[in-house]
Amino acid sequence: MAEAETKSIDNASIKMIDKAASDGVNTAFDRAETKKPCPIGVEGSCCKHCGMGPCRVPPPKGRQETPEEKQKRRGVCGATAETIAARNFIRMIAGGAAAHSDHGRGVAEVFLAVAKGEAPGYEIKDEQKLLQLALDWGVDIGDRSNQEIAINIGEIALAEFGKQEGQVLFLNRAPLKRQELWRREGAAPRGIDREIVEIMHRTHIGVDQDYRNLLRQGVRASIADGWGGSMIATELQDIIFGTPAPVLGRINLGVLSRDEVNLIIHGHEPLLSEMVVVAAQDPEMIALAKSKGANGINIAGMCCTANEILMRHGIPLAGNFLQQELAIVTGAVEAMVVDVQCIMQSLTAVAECYHTKIITTSPKAKIPGAIHIQFDEHNAMESARAIVKTAIENFPNRGSNIDIPKEQTDLVAGFSHETINYLLGGIYRASYRPLNDNIINGRIRGVAGVVGCNNARVKHNEAHTTMVKELIKNDVLVLQTGCSAIASAEAGLMTPEAASKYAGEGLASVCEAVGIPPVLHLGSCVDNSRILIAATAMVKEGGLGDDISELPVAGAAPEWMSEKAISIGQYFVGSGVFTVFGVNWPTLDSEEVSKYLFEDFEAIYGGMWAFEPDPIKAAHLMIDHIDKKRQALGIDKARERVLFDMAMRRELEGA
Amino acid sequence: MEYKIEKKSAPGRDEVEVLGATYEEGKPEGEELGKWRQKLRDRNEKLKYLQTGERYWYGKDWYGSEKRKNPA
Repeated sequence: MAEAETKSIDNASIKMIDKAASDGVNTAFDRAETKKPCPIGVEGSCCKHCGMGPCRVPPPKGRQETPEEKQKRRGVCGATAETIAARNFIRMIAGGAAAHSDHGRGVAEVFLAVAKGEAPGYEIKDEQKLLQLALDWGVDIGDRSNQEIAINIGEIALAEFGKQEGQVLFLNRAPLKRQELWRREGAAPRGIDREIVEIMHRTHIGVDQDYRNLLRQGVRASIADGWGGSMIATELQDIIFGTPAPVLGRINLGVLSRDEVNLIIHGHEPLLSEMVVVAAQDPEMIALAKSKGANGINIAGMCCTANEILMRHGIPLAGNFLQQELAIVTGAVEAMVVDVQCIMQSLTAVAECYHTKIITTSPKAKIPGAIHIQFDEHNAMESARAIVKTAIENFPNRGSNIDIPKEQTDLVAGFSHETINYLLGGIYRASYRPLNDNIINGRIRGVAGVVGCNNARVKHNEAHTTMVKELIKNDVLVLQTGCSAIASAEAGLMTPEAASKYAGEGLASVCEAVGIPPVLHLGSCVDNSRILIAATAMVKEGGLGDDISELPVAGAAPEWMSEKAISIGQYFVGSGVFTVFGVNWPTLDSEEVSKYLFEDFEAIYGGMWAFEPDPIKAAHLMIDHIDKKRQALGIDKARERVLFDMAMRRELEGA
Repeated sequence: MEYKIEKKSAPGRDEVEVLGATYEEGKPEGEELGKWRQKLRDRNEKLKYLQTGERYWYGKDWYGSEKRKNPA
C-alpha cells in the first residue's frame, strides 16, 4: 500500500495498483518506474525527420554555452536547436489537431448520413442547435424540414476539412478584435486539413527554418483545431445526441457492479457508445444477461467517451486515463470496448490475466489480441448489440479474484455554454451578465480552464486536484474537461456542496445563489471548444474588455501527456489565454524558442505559455495573471460609490 | 400555471393574501433531470431564444461590448 500511495492520490486506484502487483500484472505505473524518459527528447533536442539523423543537439548541462558552441549545435542538415525544437513542437500540434479534427470529420460523416436517413437509430435531437448552426453558416431555414437543413449543414461541415481558401467558418464566432488579430498575424486557418498538412510540409528537412515562422503555423493549425475540428465535433454531437444539461452522475471504480455484467466504454467518440447505451437497455439483452446469472447490465465510461455519455445520460464514469488498466484489474469487467485515442496497447496484456475481452471498433485503431467488431454508422445498432452480447456471454467466465473498490463520488456534469447561459438568467433572461457582474464586483476573481490528461510521470490526479482546490480557494471559478474533470469529480469538487467546503467566500456565495458547483464539468477534450465559446460570451456581454486576452482568465493542463493537449494549449494561447503546463516542457533545451512561447507570444497574441510543474505555484501564476488583467480593466480595487446630486452633475458637465 | 396565494401577517394589519412562489416545484427525475431545452416548444420559440438568449451572436440589434463595432 505504501508504494502505491506514491503513485496516486485516489484510494480506489491505490487499492487496484496493489492488487495488480499481487496478481503479477504490469501497469503504466510500473512501466513509468522502469522506463525513464529520454532526457534529450523530453526537452525537444532530438530531430529524426530524415535518414541522416537522428540528430541530438542538447545544450551543455551545468554551464553557459559559448557562442561558438551554440553555432555548432546543429543537426547534420544544418538545422539549429531552435528550428529542431520548433519543428518538434508544431508536429505535436499537428498530431493533436489531427486527432481532434479527424474525430470531428467522423462525426460530420455520421451527421450527414443521419440527415439523409442512412443511419438508422440516430436522429436529430436538438433542433435548436441545428438552427443555431444554420444561422452561423447562412443556411436557409424558412419552412424547410430539419433533414433538409441538416443535409446542408453536414455538407458544409465536411467541406471545412478540405477547404483551401478563405477561413474556417467558426472563426466568426470569436470576438471581433480576435478575428482581426488572427487575420493580421496570418494565424486565421484556411481549412482544417490544410494547416495540419502544411505543418508536416514545413517541418520536413530543408523547408521552414525560422522558428518564429514555424510557431506561427503551429498557432494557425491549433486554431483550426479549437475553432474548427473540435468545435464541429462538439456542435454536431450536440445536434444528434443533445446539448448537455446538468445531470447527476457517479464516478470512480466503485461504480462497477459485483452482480451485473460490467461493460466499459473507453475512448473518445460518442457515435458508438450512444448506441451501446441503447442496446444495453434492450429487454432482450437484459434477459440474456439474467440467463447467464447476472442481475443486469452495467455500462460505465472511461476517459472522454465517459464524459460524453455521462453528461448526456448520467451513465456512471469508471475513471480517467491512468485507471483504464486498473478497471480490468478489479476482475469484474466482462468487456472493454474502445474506439480511438488514449487507449493503452497494454489493455490486452492486462486482460489476459483476467477474463476481460477487449473489443476494438474503429478501422483506425486496432490492437493485436483484441476482438474487432467494426462500427458501421449505417448499421450502428447491430454493432452495438454484438458488443453487448459479447460482454454478456463472457459473464460466466468471471473468476473468483474480484475486488471492486467501494470508492465512488457524486458529481453534477453537463455545463455546456448554453446551460451556463440559461442557469445565469433563465429562459427569458439568459445571460452572462451575472457572471461578469460578479467578476467586476470581485466576488469571483476570475475564471480558469483546467484541462488535459493524466501522466504516469507524476502522481495520478494530484496536480489536478491541488491546482483546482487552490484556484477555487482564491475565488477563481474553474471550468474543466477531459481527464482533468474526472480527477476533480473523483475528489468531490463537482457537487454544489463543494462550494462551501472548498471555495473562497466570494465564489461560494455566487455558487450557492446560482446552485452550481465551483468546478464545472464541460465535457470531453473536444469540448474545450465550449470554453472558447464561454470566454467569447463573457467578452461580448461587456464590461470585461473587447477580447479574450483582456479577460481575467487563465488556462492549465497540469498533468498533460498527449499531443492533443499541446494543440489545446496552443489554441487557448492563440485565442489570448495565459496557459500553464506542468510535468515537463518540450522546448526547454532551446532558450530562444521557450522565451518566444513564454514571453514574446504575449505581445503578438495577448496570451502566452508558461511551464510550472508545481501545481500550487502554477495556480498562483494563473492568479497573478488574473490579477494583472483585473488591474488593466480597473476592477482590481473596490470603488467608493458616490450618488451624484444635480450640482455635482452640472460641475461634471461643465468640466 | 396555477397561482398560489399565501397568507402572511402584515405590520398594522391582520393576515394579508400575497401571491406565492411561481417556480416549478419538485425535483425532476431520471434522464430528464436538469434538461431545459425542451421548454422551447417550436421552431419559432427556438429562433426567438437564439435572438435573445444567444444575442451575443444572433441578436439583431445588440452585440454587448461589440455593439459599436462594424461586423467582422
